[in-house]
Amino acid sequence: MDKLKRNIKLIFVVFSVLFISLILYLTYFTAVEREQLIKSSYNRRLWEQEEKVMRGTIYDSKGRPLAETGFEGGTKRRIYNGGKAIGPLIGYSDRVLGRAGIENVFNGELLGVSEQDPVTLLRQKILGVSEQGSDVYLTIDLDLQKTAYDLFQGRKGALVALEPQTGRILALVSSPGYDPSTVKQDWEKLSKDENKPLINRATQGLYPPGSAFKIITLAGALTYNPEIEYEKFYTPGYIKVSGSIIRDGQHLWPGEYDLNTAFRYSSNTVFIQIGQRVEREKMIEMAEAFGFNASNKSDIPIAKSTFPRPPVIGGDVEMAESFIGQGRILSTPVQMAQVAAIIANDGKMVTPYIAQKIVSPLGTEISKAPKASTTQVVSSEVARKIKALMVDVVKSGTGTAAAISGIEVAGKTGSAENPHGQAHAWFVGFAPAENPKIAVAVVVENAGSGGSVAGPIARGVISKYLSDIIR
Amino acid sequence: MEPRTEAIYNKNIAITALVGILAALLLAFREGVFSPVPIYGSLIFIVIMFVGHFLTNHLFPKQDPALFILCCFICQLGLVMLYRIDPESAAKQLIWFGIGCLLYFISSFVCRTWIEIKVGPFIFFLVTFVLLASPLIFGVERYGSKSWISFGNFLFQPSELAKITFSLFLADTLKEHKIEDSIKFFGQIFVVLGLLAFARDLGGAMLFYFAALIIIFAATSRLDLTVLGLIGAVVAGLLGYQFFGHVRVRTKAWLNPWEDVPGKGYQIVQSLFAIAEGGFFGTGLGLGRPDYIPAVTTDFIFSAFFEEFGFLGASALIVVYFLLIYRGIKISLTIENSFLCLSALGITVFFGIQIFTIIGGVIKLIPMTGVTLPFMSYGGSSMVMSFISLGILNGIIMRALGGEADG
Repeated sequence: MDKLKRNIKLIFVVFSVLFISLILYLTYFTAVEREQLIKSSYNRRLWEQEEKVMRGTIYDSKGRPLAETGFEGGTKRRIYNGGKAIGPLIGYSDRVLGRAGIENVFNGELLGVSEQDPVTLLRQKILGVSEQGSDVYLTIDLDLQKTAYDLFQGRKGALVALEPQTGRILALVSSPGYDPSTVKQDWEKLSKDENKPLINRATQGLYPPGSAFKIITLAGALTYNPEIEYEKFYTPGYIKVSGSIIRDGQHLWPGEYDLNTAFRYSSNTVFIQIGQRVEREKMIEMAEAFGFNASNKSDIPIAKSTFPRPPVIGGDVEMAESFIGQGRILSTPVQMAQVAAIIANDGKMVTPYIAQKIVSPLGTEISKAPKASTTQVVSSEVARKIKALMVDVVKSGTGTAAAISGIEVAGKTGSAENPHGQAHAWFVGFAPAENPKIAVAVVVENAGSGGSVAGPIARGVISKYLSDIIR
Repeated sequence: MEPRTEAIYNKNIAITALVGILAALLLAFREGVFSPVPIYGSLIFIVIMFVGHFLTNHLFPKQDPALFILCCFICQLGLVMLYRIDPESAAKQLIWFGIGCLLYFISSFVCRTWIEIKVGPFIFFLVTFVLLASPLIFGVERYGSKSWISFGNFLFQPSELAKITFSLFLADTLKEHKIEDSIKFFGQIFVVLGLLAFARDLGGAMLFYFAALIIIFAATSRLDLTVLGLIGAVVAGLLGYQFFGHVRVRTKAWLNPWEDVPGKGYQIVQSLFAIAEGGFFGTGLGLGRPDYIPAVTTDFIFSAFFEEFGFLGASALIVVYFLLIYRGIKISLTIENSFLCLSALGITVFFGIQIFTIIGGVIKLIPMTGVTLPFMSYGGSSMVMSFISLGILNGIIMRALGGEADG
């Protein structure tokens, strides 16, 4: 009998554990999994909310509406201002097509369902504003965005402009774009278009960065082998790496180069020599410090830029190709803009972000700006040296097409070889060099030389932005 | 009963009534215009509850009043949710509640007098067998299992009653704390499980399996059998996955409902959306969307409750169910007679497993099995049988306490 009672007590313990596990699981569910489920596109409550709610407005950095909901003949309609320049960035929200872009990323806020604080919810209900979503204020400058988009003249490519000290995204252009106001009518055509206008190339496009990557190779070399600054490098115009031959561009002649000339004229062979002096692990670490292989920390989804590392990395040839931004290295335009911004920001980390603040219907503001980072990617001394070299690139090297009179522009060009035809043209830079206000990365697909094609686009965007802030 | 204890019970029943009246007021004003129906319903409920509580406490001073109060509290929440989902089924359920209460006291009384009638375990087995076999012959198929018998409009699930006879069968066989004839005993158990599986009532089969496993362990203290039984459960699960299409569907829906949201995962995903919507505080009574949840009045009533009452309300409900189990365990611990003790344990264990599997199922902690949530899910036979089971439990404690007083 005593055994029976003992067993019953044991069974009671088992039931206690089972019932407690129910409550624990529900706690976990409510605290962690809940938010995702509320926002899930399968959730019919969300559709219902969508019908009922006045979707919030998306504003640019100067308070101009980019997307707003208005009435047209008694029915709700989403109105977009900015045309094709904003399409891939802002996206769309449609019952049939689904959601994309900012409309998708901030859907919960725009519908007002992300509000977690029950007291606020109650207040909104009482004040009768519960059927209104929050407004999202972006860091984008509509004028700059339009200027940049027009400079592409329909060519395929992308541009990202950042404020170097904060990481605010000033412009995020993907060309060709589409007009979100007419995306529904144009859907058939857009989805079949070979130029893929529906994709946001600035955040999702992965390109070999080409010579623009030499900024990072240089950062690694100056950090771990500072003596190279005073050395001279001989090149016969090609370099042999484990039997493979990598050549310099045709504008370069064999001979002796110092660091400045090699960077200015973008010598592949010299940069492979420089890169090979640094330990392989150290170079991978440097690339990763700049943001390669790291998971996205921005508030919008950005594809992961990759620098080959063990076990993916092949041999010496692949590593050598990586030093000049070729081979298996891939970067988004946002990532390369981040590289420029880090150099402009005295070597401190910069994380790009696009939402400045969210304003609820009650007027409460939630700031979304991340705290400025103090993580040093490279020392300020190294950053200063790289900056000086980048200034010379624009003054008298491959990047002269980006020069602006009266303003010192720092930059680096790239012509990234790829299997799809002509090289992708890159320009990565910032200005003014002494007190950087804007950092940009431009890529134009299959356009050939970086300096002559991407340089002028960067130049146009930089001068537009600087003249605007002076005014 | 001591006056202090009595005061505590009275306080509890008053609070239950108060909760009911508040909920009824909310429901009365729900559609903007005042409708007195929920208030009438609530008053009928309260009258039944008060009569049940005070009259029977007077008639049977040795009963356990907590059992009745706890299940009234749960029933009331169930009725509130049902009214909010579909007033008509709430009205029917209220009638079932009344019948249930009556049967509760009848079964308490009968059990007190007759429980130790010497019929022998074989009779209990035979009754269980007949109950489970009958729907296979006369039954109709509902919700994918052929375990129902229809009397006109009323559907009855004999396996609900079989839970009681099966508990008594186990208790009677094992009252000497050993298994006399293993082959016969296990043969009988597998016949019972086989009948359930044959009716494709796999949730029921699982319930009976675990109940048997737990009671055998309690009675015999045989760890080897328990471990073997747990391994058997895993093997049975794997076999079920192989041979029963809807076990596969349910397991897949549990592992990754997002793979097929409009199809296999539909039910569980809708349930999770409701729970997510509820959050910590709930949307409030009448403000959720139970119409989005399939089978909301039966299997998924807990999800609908969670949506409107939130994590806090649902946790409280789980605690109330837990208290019911606690009372059951406490009763079986007070009893010296081993047959009665095991019977009480059996009934409690059936309740416990059933509550855990259905709540665990709708929140996706474990795979979904189609069993009802006792006292809350819509359905006459579940309601009535739950009350009868609980009545037997009450009868057992009445007998035990009465016996102590006598001797």
